[in-house]
Amino acid sequence: MKQRKVSSDIKFVKWMRKKLVVLFVLVLLAFVGLGVRLILITRNNGEEYEKQILSQQQYDSTTLPFRRGEILDSNGTILAYSEKVYNVILDAKLLLRDEKFLEPTITALVREFGLDQGEIRTYLSEHPTSQYYVLAKKLPYDQIKNFQDMITPGMDGYDANIQGVWFESNYIRKYPNGSLACDVVGFTTNDNSGMYGLEEYYNNTLSGTAGREYGYLDEDSNLERTTIPAEDGDSIVTTIDGNLQNIVEKHLQEFNDTYANAFRWGNAANNVGCIMMDIHTGEILAMASYPNFDLNNPRDPSKLIGMPAVDENGKKLKGESELDSGVYITEEMLETFSDEQLYQNYNALWRNFCISDTYEPGSVAKPFTVATGLESGSITGNEVYDCKGSLEVGGWTIRCHNRYGDGYVSVERGIEISCNVAMMHIAQATGVSTFTKFQKDFGFGLKTNIDLAGEARTEGLTYTADAMTSADLATNSFGQGFNVDMIEMITSFSSLINGGYYYEPHIVKRIVSSSGSTIRNVEPRILRQTVSQSTSDKIIQYCNRVVAGEEGTGKTARPAGYMIGGKTGTAQTLPRGNRQYVVSFMGYAPSVNPQIAIYVVVDRPNTQYQDDAKFATRIVRAVLTEALPYLNIPMTEELSEKEQQELAELHEKMITPEVPEAEVAEGEEGVETEGEADNPEGAEGGETAQEGENPDGTVDPDEQREDTSSIWETFDVDPSTGYYIDPNTGNPIDPASGYEFGGDTLPDFGSGTGNSEP
Amino acid sequence: MKSKLFKRESYIDYSLIFIILFLLAFGLIMLYSTSSYEANLDFGDSAYYFKHQLVMTLAGLVGMILMSYFPYRFLERLALPIYIISAILLILIVPFGKTINGAKRWLIFMGVSIQPAEAAKVATIIFTATMIIKVRKNLMTLRGFGMTLGFPMILAGMVYILTRNLSSAVIIMGIAILMLFVSTPGYKRYIIFAVAVLGFAAALVAIIANSEQTSGMNYRFERVLAWLDPKAHASGKGFQTLQALYAIGSGGVFGKGLGESMQKMGFIPEAQNDMIFSIICEELGLFGAIAVMLMFLLLIWRLLIIANNSPDLFGALLVIGVMGHIAIQVILNIAVVTNTIPNTGITLPFISYGGSAVVIQLAEVGIALNVARNIGRE
Repeated sequence: MKQRKVSSDIKFVKWMRKKLVVLFVLVLLAFVGLGVRLILITRNNGEEYEKQILSQQQYDSTTLPFRRGEILDSNGTILAYSEKVYNVILDAKLLLRDEKFLEPTITALVREFGLDQGEIRTYLSEHPTSQYYVLAKKLPYDQIKNFQDMITPGMDGYDANIQGVWFESNYIRKYPNGSLACDVVGFTTNDNSGMYGLEEYYNNTLSGTAGREYGYLDEDSNLERTTIPAEDGDSIVTTIDGNLQNIVEKHLQEFNDTYANAFRWGNAANNVGCIMMDIHTGEILAMASYPNFDLNNPRDPSKLIGMPAVDENGKKLKGESELDSGVYITEEMLETFSDEQLYQNYNALWRNFCISDTYEPGSVAKPFTVATGLESGSITGNEVYDCKGSLEVGGWTIRCHNRYGDGYVSVERGIEISCNVAMMHIAQATGVSTFTKFQKDFGFGLKTNIDLAGEARTEGLTYTADAMTSADLATNSFGQGFNVDMIEMITSFSSLINGGYYYEPHIVKRIVSSSGSTIRNVEPRILRQTVSQSTSDKIIQYCNRVVAGEEGTGKTARPAGYMIGGKTGTAQTLPRGNRQYVVSFMGYAPSVNPQIAIYVVVDRPNTQYQDDAKFATRIVRAVLTEALPYLNIPMTEELSEKEQQELAELHEKMITPEVPEAEVAEGEEGVETEGEADNPEGAEGGETAQEGENPDGTVDPDEQREDTSSIWETFDVDPSTGYYIDPNTGNPIDPASGYEFGGDTLPDFGSGTGNSEP
Repeated sequence: MKSKLFKRESYIDYSLIFIILFLLAFGLIMLYSTSSYEANLDFGDSAYYFKHQLVMTLAGLVGMILMSYFPYRFLERLALPIYIISAILLILIVPFGKTINGAKRWLIFMGVSIQPAEAAKVATIIFTATMIIKVRKNLMTLRGFGMTLGFPMILAGMVYILTRNLSSAVIIMGIAILMLFVSTPGYKRYIIFAVAVLGFAAALVAIIANSEQTSGMNYRFERVLAWLDPKAHASGKGFQTLQALYAIGSGGVFGKGLGESMQKMGFIPEAQNDMIFSIICEELGLFGAIAVMLMFLLLIWRLLIIANNSPDLFGALLVIGVMGHIAIQVILNIAVVTNTIPNTGITLPFISYGGSAVVIQLAEVGIALNVARNIGRE
């Protein structure tokens, strides 16, 4: 008590109060200082910090990926689909909240995903506050299922101590059939946008809309999550029949295997393309080209080997000599490629030859010339022309393939033996204005608007009536001097043989939503009537002779058990005289009541003498031998013993036999060289295009070779190859000037056509 | 004594009570706003922290009322027991301490977690006031001064060594020094002391900033580096500070509005503890922040008035201790949030989450109220 009294008597004296006030002032100063600091932070950094905060917020809203639609063939076989995959994400901060989480989580990660324990621990100790670290990428659902259960309350194996791991889902594109229909399907880049083919053309259809998950606080400050689900893309059903596509690709591959490195190093041809079309709907049944690539790995450099290299504009590099078909990519060359060069060549690989490359069609254009004449009434079909081996047009001599002349040639025989002189007569009878008008009707120089990305623009690659001279008309009549692409030709040809109905070609027949309901059916669409039924009937009659006729140039295209029709083509390329040819066969089956059309183009076959349409007809034969039975088209022809054996083998092995050697030797014709001559303006003397087609199945090529060899040898740089190039090379036109087999060293037709190299 | 107390109706400092109630209510609101997001994520109950704090606040208010009726002069006799109890509590941490957030600072007693460091603060106030009265005559001698400072220093040392809690140790020493400052004449030694401390701190910072080695460094050193350049340490020690600065800067003058903070959604970890002031800045802006600071200033002002009018020195010293405690914590907390000093865990009185702290602080206010009650007597 005393003590308390004493202490309570001690007063808080004045100087102490003074010191207390001093203390208060100090506190006040500190407060003022801090207040000023707050103001400065807000004033100087407010905006920057605000942005910083907003940018951090993305953490709280996540994008939900959509599933890209599938691409199916007409039978429902999946050509492309998207598979959901998962990235394993580690949230170190969450995991390290409590020590008891650490061991179970790491154990589970190591067990389920085979991850390296040490690495995880190292990462955790170095980045204890990290919230996003990708531990594993693109795992399929099977692989994450167990772990998913472990972190999902209520599932078997749930372990509350496994923390800080979550899955981020995404989709990857898969092509279960690898390279099947690669040019048609196209592929996707990592960000899900299509490149080439259907993936590009139908990108918007296939793409859905990404969803989003937002986190926000409601008025009670509860965390709410709103999810806008992703909308999956629509699927497309194509008209491609996977089986036919397979057959076609198998034979293109076989062709390449047979002729690769045959004459020069490299693929069997710069390009080989094949299209099959339903002539009554315009549906593409199969479309393929070689070289192909694996859609799952489009950047596989090994696929480039053997291809002609291209420059930055996509043009093929020129060989040392004009006679070289190109510079072919070797392994060594690949190593020297810059990334850019590599990419250029990949583009060449990826582009769809069947719709993107243009070339002069050659003799396959002859049925169009005849149809033009018949339809316009310029000819009746009963005319007979006298072929003397060449025709004088507009001051130039334009040769037929047979320099000795074919004699009297009816319209039908003109097609059968592919007589240039007869065609020139028909074209002359038709006249420039009608001829060009019909060319337009046939769609030459117009896009077909097929639903694929990358169709060539051919406007300007044909003549207008004003620009066409009589010489142009003459060469156009047999398919030289103007450029087309494959889809244009076959679409138009289908109209010639289906009664004149020009269908818009298409490759997608149905668009289906992700839930399976049909959104759109693509109906066949007739754009115009090109010719009448009677003209169509006559064209079929003539074209049947090409395969069936004694002198037909396309006999080798006939598959066992069937009769088909069609037309061969052997087109010169630019510059004339380079001995580079585009050979082709365009046909239909069966010969009566045709159902399908097929067109095969071989661009510069790998052989010494390229002007041989048999490179194309053999492919057609091989493809149709398998395809027609598959399409349930009944056989109409008797089978020879050999053919029976062939079919038996086919059934057994389901592979197509090689075309027997003998047949090749016998080869009827197919050998045509067409040239065109004349350059309206340039006109320096040159003229003479030689075209030789050797329609006569009976003429032994060897004989002709002998016949011409001595003349050739005098001009050939390499005498060893001098023996027989082409029956017409012996033409003594102008040995001094040196255009032999080139004879057609003429400049091409300037502006009118603008040839583009295939 | 009792009869005397009840007989004479006395002064009740209503403004102080109002300020305290206001701060508590405001604190609870801000606590809920700040913690609800994380509480919901971690506990599935957005009011988890709010409920805990509400219970402790009510308990603290009861304690405050009790203390306001508890004659403060008894505390002089209880000083030694209180000092010893708080020391024992600190020692008990060694065997029984509970680790939360990687720090072993809590004791669980009958389901209630208490932080002995908080008890040490109030013990320091009471014991130092008693010491000053006891050695009053010799206070200016080295021995007297040293003795008065020595006991709090022992407590501070224990807090630092046993709980690795530097900030609480600093606060304990700060309280003792402020009390001595007021109760001894002259400024010289305090100025020298202040200059020495600042010089030492500056030298330390300079050494740390220029040291090449970054590995194996004491984590406090890293905090200093993060303080000097928070952006360079954004993924480590500087993260919390930087995010707090973002919060302050983005609030503007009037803030984003109550409950609209974005930073509390996981960016400022445990924002309801040390960093609650940054969320106040973000949601209520400079206006709200300065208003809060003014409330604290008013609180301190009221305590100053009570001390000045205290009937005796002991009462005044108690109030000065309470005032010093609150002032130091507020200043240091805001200084940390604004990155004026390196990051160290100091809570904002009456507002930050923390049960022990709010109970102890309200008890201290209760003592001050009791001193006020005796104003005018004798």
